[in-house]
Amino acid sequence: MKIFDLMLKIDRRIIYLVLAVVVILPLVIPSAQHVRVMPPVEKLFTAVDTIHSDKVLMIDFDYDPQTQPELEPMALAILRHAFNKRIKVLGLSLYVQPLGLAKSAFDQVISEYNSTAKTYEDSIIYGRDYVFLGWQPPPLVPILGMGESITNVYKKDYYGNQTDTLPLMKKIKNYNQVELLISISSGDPPLWWVGYAQNRFGLKVGVGCTAVSASDYYPYLQTGQFSGLMVGMKGAAEYEELVESRLNIYKRRKASEALPSLTYAHLVMMAFIIIGNIGYFIKRRQK
Amino acid sequence: MQRTFPLILVFIFGILGIIPFIVPHPSVQHTDEFLRNDLLRILAAFALVLGLGSLLRVHFDKIQHHRENWQYSWVLLITFFLTSIIGLFGGVAGTGPLPTKIGNFHFDIQTIYLNVEVPLGATMFALLSFFMASAAYRSFRARSTEATLLLLSAFIVMIGILPLGNQISPKLPSFAQWIMDVPNVAGKRGIAFGIALGSLATALKILLGIERSWLGGGE
Repeated sequence: MKIFDLMLKIDRRIIYLVLAVVVILPLVIPSAQHVRVMPPVEKLFTAVDTIHSDKVLMIDFDYDPQTQPELEPMALAILRHAFNKRIKVLGLSLYVQPLGLAKSAFDQVISEYNSTAKTYEDSIIYGRDYVFLGWQPPPLVPILGMGESITNVYKKDYYGNQTDTLPLMKKIKNYNQVELLISISSGDPPLWWVGYAQNRFGLKVGVGCTAVSASDYYPYLQTGQFSGLMVGMKGAAEYEELVESRLNIYKRRKASEALPSLTYAHLVMMAFIIIGNIGYFIKRRQK
Repeated sequence: MQRTFPLILVFIFGILGIIPFIVPHPSVQHTDEFLRNDLLRILAAFALVLGLGSLLRVHFDKIQHHRENWQYSWVLLITFFLTSIIGLFGGVAGTGPLPTKIGNFHFDIQTIYLNVEVPLGATMFALLSFFMASAAYRSFRARSTEATLLLLSAFIVMIGILPLGNQISPKLPSFAQWIMDVPNVAGKRGIAFGIALGSLATALKILLGIERSWLGGGE
């Protein structure tokens, strides 16, 4: 019964090779896959879509290079949604590492909009339509401090401007003018936003998280503490789907393009687990 | 006194951290704001200096005594000083007094970050999927009823979240969502309550000076 022994002892290099092939091949010729939108993402989309014109959307960019492929498409989709609906945006990071990625997400979406804008009014202008506050350590300081005064916590923005001189910031004092905060994060920050900003100041919190963090966050979604939840690559693809179908924004959908790789990788992992279990059961019966 | 003073400090600042959540009076709120915005930041700055000092000491020591993989410490130290100089005097986007551009070649912090740190970080994380696949194949066995249930629910969730799940049956994604919404939440909430009660008990023990292991000394 050599075959059953083999089923139990597949060389890890074979697993690596098969996985590499199924992940890389679909990425060589990318094609966006359509997905069914599930209620948690639908809720988040509605929360962004219904932001009042006198309020702002705050985005906490807390993803690093490690989780960029999963979380950056979420940031891009939300920014496209917000700027399309002319919702004012405040960006920040609780850590220093995500700053560069947050800046490049802003730059990408703004250049997409401004390349088709015909007038100054149509364009997305820094200070008028959005502000990138940057980073203030340690994380608890900005979360609690912004409940009193945002410009006191962030006296200067990411680019070194005095924040209280920016036109947008003249209308925004604290969380009373922020309708929704979306924390796009691979760690605990969404829970800090709920624990400190929501419990104390009543700030609404939406979340974009990695697939591995998802199970921790569902209790908060069920209680309504999260106004919506995007989970991993699939969640990002669902938001991209909504942005395309509801807002007619046809841009590159990075998360949707990654779904074939994700599908095949999952299937390969399941196949290996099944093979391992068949071998295990037959060997156990033989004993 | 060496042990009593830190205990008194922890008690006072612990209580000061709780009060603003209960008392909305402006004087209390302003004190809290001062503690967080000024004092906490000063402390964080000291912690940063201590952290960097410790990092440098460890790596200088490694080089000096030729400990295992000491050559990599040179890489860390050289890149540390180079990026610090570029960051401090060249600015993040190359707008500082130090020139961070030679011809069309930029070497400001944002360029270094996007071209070095992003690919390296992404590569490290991508490698994880290979180890996960190999580990799942080796250890995910239906050895008992509980393990079989776990295996089945994992398969349902994995297929259900994929577009393929919807193609197999439109009910499959809903079922996967139900697993996440109901059994998962029930389990997670139980764990969360346990952690919260444990954290509360530990926090109280630290505030009241019953738990003193954080002071060191093994007492």
